[in-house]
Amino acid sequence: MLACRGLVKHYATDKGTVEAVRGIDLDVPMGGYAAIIGRSGSGKSSLMAMIGGLSRPTAGQVRIDGADLWALREPEAATFRNRRIGYVFQFASLLPNLRAVDNVALPARLAGRLGHREAADVAAERLADVGLTDHFDAFPAELSSGEQRRVVIARALMNEPALLLADEPTSDLDEQTEREVMALLRAVSRDRRTTLVLVTHNLALAAEAEQIVHIANGVIVP
Amino acid sequence: MRGFGSTRGLLLMLAVQNLGRRQTRTWLLVAAIALASAVTFAGVVAMASVTASMQVGLSRVGADLMVVNRDALTNITNALLVVEPTDSTVAADAVLRADIHGMAGFSAQRILRTDRSGFGAAGEPVDLIGFDPGTDFTILPWLSERLAGPMRPDDVILGGARDLPLGSKALIFGQSFRVYGKLARTGSGTQERGVFVQVVRFLALAPAIRDRLGSLPHMLEPDRVTGFLIRMGPASTELQARFALLSKIPDIKVIVGSALLTGIRQGLGMLLGGLVLLVVALSISTAMMVALLFSAIMAERRREFGLLKAIGARNGQIVGMALVEAALATAGGAAIGVIFGLLLLRLFERGLVHHLGEMGIPFLWLDGARTCGVAAACVVGAALVGMAGAFLPAWRMGRRDIHDLLGKES
Ligand SMILES: Nc1ncnc2c1ncn2[C@@H]1O[C@H](COP(=O)(O)OP(=O)(O)OP(=O)(O)O)[C@@H](O)[C@H]1O
Ligand SMILES: [Mg+2]
Repeated sequence: MLACRGLVKHYATDKGTVEAVRGIDLDVPMGGYAAIIGRSGSGKSSLMAMIGGLSRPTAGQVRIDGADLWALREPEAATFRNRRIGYVFQFASLLPNLRAVDNVALPARLAGRLGHREAADVAAERLADVGLTDHFDAFPAELSSGEQRRVVIARALMNEPALLLADEPTSDLDEQTEREVMALLRAVSRDRRTTLVLVTHNLALAAEAEQIVHIANGVIVP
Repeated sequence: MRGFGSTRGLLLMLAVQNLGRRQTRTWLLVAAIALASAVTFAGVVAMASVTASMQVGLSRVGADLMVVNRDALTNITNALLVVEPTDSTVAADAVLRADIHGMAGFSAQRILRTDRSGFGAAGEPVDLIGFDPGTDFTILPWLSERLAGPMRPDDVILGGARDLPLGSKALIFGQSFRVYGKLARTGSGTQERGVFVQVVRFLALAPAIRDRLGSLPHMLEPDRVTGFLIRMGPASTELQARFALLSKIPDIKVIVGSALLTGIRQGLGMLLGGLVLLVVALSISTAMMVALLFSAIMAERRREFGLLKAIGARNGQIVGMALVEAALATAGGAAIGVIFGLLLLRLFERGLVHHLGEMGIPFLWLDGARTCGVAAACVVGAALVGMAGAFLPAWRMGRRDIHDLLGKES
């Protein structure tokens, strides 16, 4: 389902080239759950960005359901991100001026796939799926961090993606909330048979994954 | 197709909300653009009006040169508004054929002075002047009142001393005309009591005139005219032009108008040209600042654009949203500015125009259609400036790695 081959990422900086990812092969089967762990600066986010179509690899290939992600041209790549990939970011990533339901509807609306009404209906369903039935009309500032993260998960699921990517989605939450959000993420991805790739510092969480990928200095270590 | 429209609506809404999110800055920006466009709008309209008024005012001074037959008895008047009423004629194509350099324009006139004439039912004496509205520059500027719409072939214009009302019927050699307009009082006899007819219609009166007078005066022949009025271009002198005319056209007399006024006209033309350049330069520098400001505003939205791209917005959508946002703010500001500019013009009217009016100088406002044109140009221009400023940063962001856009560094 997800197949990475020879992924390399270099950053050009003032102090020379940073080799953040130095040749990674990774396979995650359809509906699988992989946790990526590693020290800060080991290249986890760089890898995730390449997998998610957010950062062009210096070398290597990312295939999702057979499609060569980085061979797509811009509009097709945008559509691919929109339809096939869902992201749960580390930072607050909701548009502050949109209500929760409109934030969730955004991916469908951007694609022009659904009209305002239909998108709102589907978004309401997704919000219900993440347990936020009472907060459709709330603006992000009116929600707690945990609730905001649930809204982001609902948004990531809006277009029923094949691949769900989460880069430290719970690092700024308290332990209890982190457990709840993680349980939710697991549950929704299992229900929908969505492939889940998660970066985390929390080894206990990682231990629940079917596949643990340990990265150090830009390469996978056993 | 509905889906497409809905995406557009979404982007428009996001653009509006972005403006609403930073209200202080949005309002400051709108105010700055409003101020700039108010000044530009009011300045351009006022200057165009002043220019037009000047042109009319200066045209009223008359032509620089008059060309008539050598045998014509000329009674030198300081204002060359109409050529001398005389029986002698000049070839109708004389000036054109002479090909005089440095001429800004010329107009041929035919004048029939008759005492057994046909103006009105009683057939009172008249100076009947045949002129071409297309080339005329000395008669029409004196129009003080006229009917709406363009002058029709059966229309006449009356000198200021005649008092038939506009729209009434006037008989000329038994034929019926409509009074289209009236001139202001000029102080020049021929013009004061003259009756002005379009040249085509003037020539068509020939049979009626031959019946009445027994013979046909030469100026009613298509290839003869009574004389020409000539306006000089900015770089030439009457002396040169006069010499050229005399050497190229046989049997003529050249009469020179007031040299002083010719000089003033030429000088003012250059001054106004310079002022236009100044206004243009000022608007360009304002435009550059607004564009720069928008560049900065867009650069600040890096992360939000990155987020939208991550969840599937195409580059075109991002750029489109940035352009809509910039266009909304700048065009909105400009529209407010135009309204403000209209108020400024009202003040201008109260002051200067009133004073000029008291001195007997007419002030002609730019007509409504052109004023609307200037207003539209201000709004569209402002929108273009805003979009130009927003386009480059938005487009460049579209090409950057989304991961970089999402990065935490400012
Ligand atoms: N845009 C960039 N420009 C230059 N260097 C970068 C950039 N992004 C990441 N790096 C560098 O690449 C290396 C890997 O960074 P990356 O963010 O992938 O690590 P990470 O494993 O996600 O770390 P963390 O756990 O702190 O999030 C680091 O040394 C980092 O400084
Ligand atoms: Mg990271």
